[in-house]
Amino acid sequence: MPQFSLYEEEFHPSPWQRTWAAFRSSHIAMVGLVMLGCFVFFALFAPIITPYDATEQNIDGLLIPPSWTANGVISHLFGTDALGRDLFTRIIYGCRITLGTAFITVVLAMLVGVSLGTFAGMLRGVRSSIANHLLDALMAIPTLLIAIIIVAILGAGLLNSMWAITLALIPQFVHHTRSFVRAEMKKDYIVASKLDGANRWQLFVHSILPNMIETLVVQGTLALSIAVIDISALGFLNLGAQSPLPELGVILADGLDAAYLAPWNVAVPGTAIFLMVLSINIVGDGLRSALRKRVSH
Amino acid sequence: MIQILTRYCTLLVLTLLVLAVMSFSLAYLFPGDTLENLTGLVPENEAQREALERQFKLDSSVVLQFFYYLGNLLVGDWGYSFTSGLPLLEEVGIALPATIELATYAMLMALFVGIPLGYYAGIRCYSTTDHILNSASMTTYSFPVFWFALLLILVFSLQLDAAPLSGRISLLYDVPRVTGFILVDVLLSDLDNKSLAFKDALSHIALPTFAIGAITTASLIRITRRSVIDVKHRPYIAAAVSRGLSSWQIFTRHILRNALLPILPLMAIQITTLITNAMIVETLFSWPGIGNWLIQAIYQRDYPALRIGMMAVSTLVITLTILVDLFNRIIDPSREKYEHAAV
Repeated sequence: MPQFSLYEEEFHPSPWQRTWAAFRSSHIAMVGLVMLGCFVFFALFAPIITPYDATEQNIDGLLIPPSWTANGVISHLFGTDALGRDLFTRIIYGCRITLGTAFITVVLAMLVGVSLGTFAGMLRGVRSSIANHLLDALMAIPTLLIAIIIVAILGAGLLNSMWAITLALIPQFVHHTRSFVRAEMKKDYIVASKLDGANRWQLFVHSILPNMIETLVVQGTLALSIAVIDISALGFLNLGAQSPLPELGVILADGLDAAYLAPWNVAVPGTAIFLMVLSINIVGDGLRSALRKRVSH
Repeated sequence: MIQILTRYCTLLVLTLLVLAVMSFSLAYLFPGDTLENLTGLVPENEAQREALERQFKLDSSVVLQFFYYLGNLLVGDWGYSFTSGLPLLEEVGIALPATIELATYAMLMALFVGIPLGYYAGIRCYSTTDHILNSASMTTYSFPVFWFALLLILVFSLQLDAAPLSGRISLLYDVPRVTGFILVDVLLSDLDNKSLAFKDALSHIALPTFAIGAITTASLIRITRRSVIDVKHRPYIAAAVSRGLSSWQIFTRHILRNALLPILPLMAIQITTLITNAMIVETLFSWPGIGNWLIQAIYQRDYPALRIGMMAVSTLVITLTILVDLFNRIIDPSREKYEHAAV
């Protein structure tokens, strides 16, 4: 006898499950997620995957072409650079450094930006007006400029370029959080919590934050793609990470010296940055449309 | 109206004041001697140093120093570059128009290509054309600008030999500087072979403009498409459909202008990205703009140049952003309600 109960069969997916279902229904978004997953895997397990050391030089094997060309060897998948370093190893370590630092930068910027934005959103009157407008205006200063100033004060280096990018990313989180908090503060459920005697901190933690977290994730992926591009751009311009360190922008800049002899030294790291940013953007876009679908249905 | 204008003027002045404070404090924050960072002058002996310190009020309080510095900024006495020894006002005056020219053409390209394509994709949303346009813009948008510019150089300059590698115009032509915009300058000049010079300048500017413009175009397509789709789901469009308007009438009367409103503030954000990209691309194409100049300055640790360059670029970007915002505020009456509620 079949065992079924009409009432228990009714399934109510949680908001997260519904978002996931909407996300999964887009094939492109899933491809992007798998690509991003690969990059994260490379970043996490770089020492296990790579056959060589990232800075190990081999003077017997300078500028070996990639393995798919006639002169390539399979022991160097992407070939070697002008110092005989294995390009595949450097790219994998590069994913680790570029993606890792970008992630840390975004998390830092998010923490600071959300707290500042909440304050700005809950402020009232002239103070709020001044804080908001000034923040909006300061948001317009280009990242590269902030990075140049920080490099001039502290000197070039990966850590300093991270500070610069964090500073540059903070305003957009502030802006986003501020408008969100301000819109939420007018809603009835906040008024209800207020009447229950919740103070501002409780309002934020129990009422606003749970509603904000999804849009924050979307905003975070957007910021992550900007951070990856900026970190590699600074590395490329010799203002961020410095030469022996396998950061993707630095590898690209190193490859530039031998670009005519060995074009793969420019092509491979560039493709890696491009694919990384592309996968982050696809996932971010997929998440955004999944959220939109969920809210509109 | 007057209230709005005063509001935005106060905002502009306040922000520029903050920038001036930042630029002044940089003289203290940068490594090396404050006097040298502030003026770009290196005193030869103690007596000269004391005289200079007295002249720049460095012996009095920080507030007085700042006001003296502010006065100098306004007068145009910006100090001297360490490396070239030239007045910074003159150097920025040469470099900044070059960047503005590049950014303007890229923005024009984005406006004239991006917005129509975005409209098309938005009107035909979720069709094959829309998917193709959307994926293409997503792909272009993901290109790191320096790599994209490098690829353009490799393909068009080195392989095909179709465009020159660097600079603004061939050294054969001696174009007098009038506006600082090379294309305009060529047209204004009285060279014998003006059309050849113009063609040469055009071939120099094509690749960097395309490198910057493509990325801005891609993001503008996405912004416009989103905005059109949002407008299409509004109740007044449904009302227009039920009144029996044709889709062309709905588009021209209801969608076209309403979809432009949300694009404007987002375009203000694009300006920042555009200038950043322009600065990076300049270094690759050796374009004599402010980005190239600033990056040379940081390589040579030219602190006075950095101090002024930071001030000039951020003033440009912030003024543009505030102007776009003001324009948006004036043409969009729906924001008035919001503003009164907020303050």
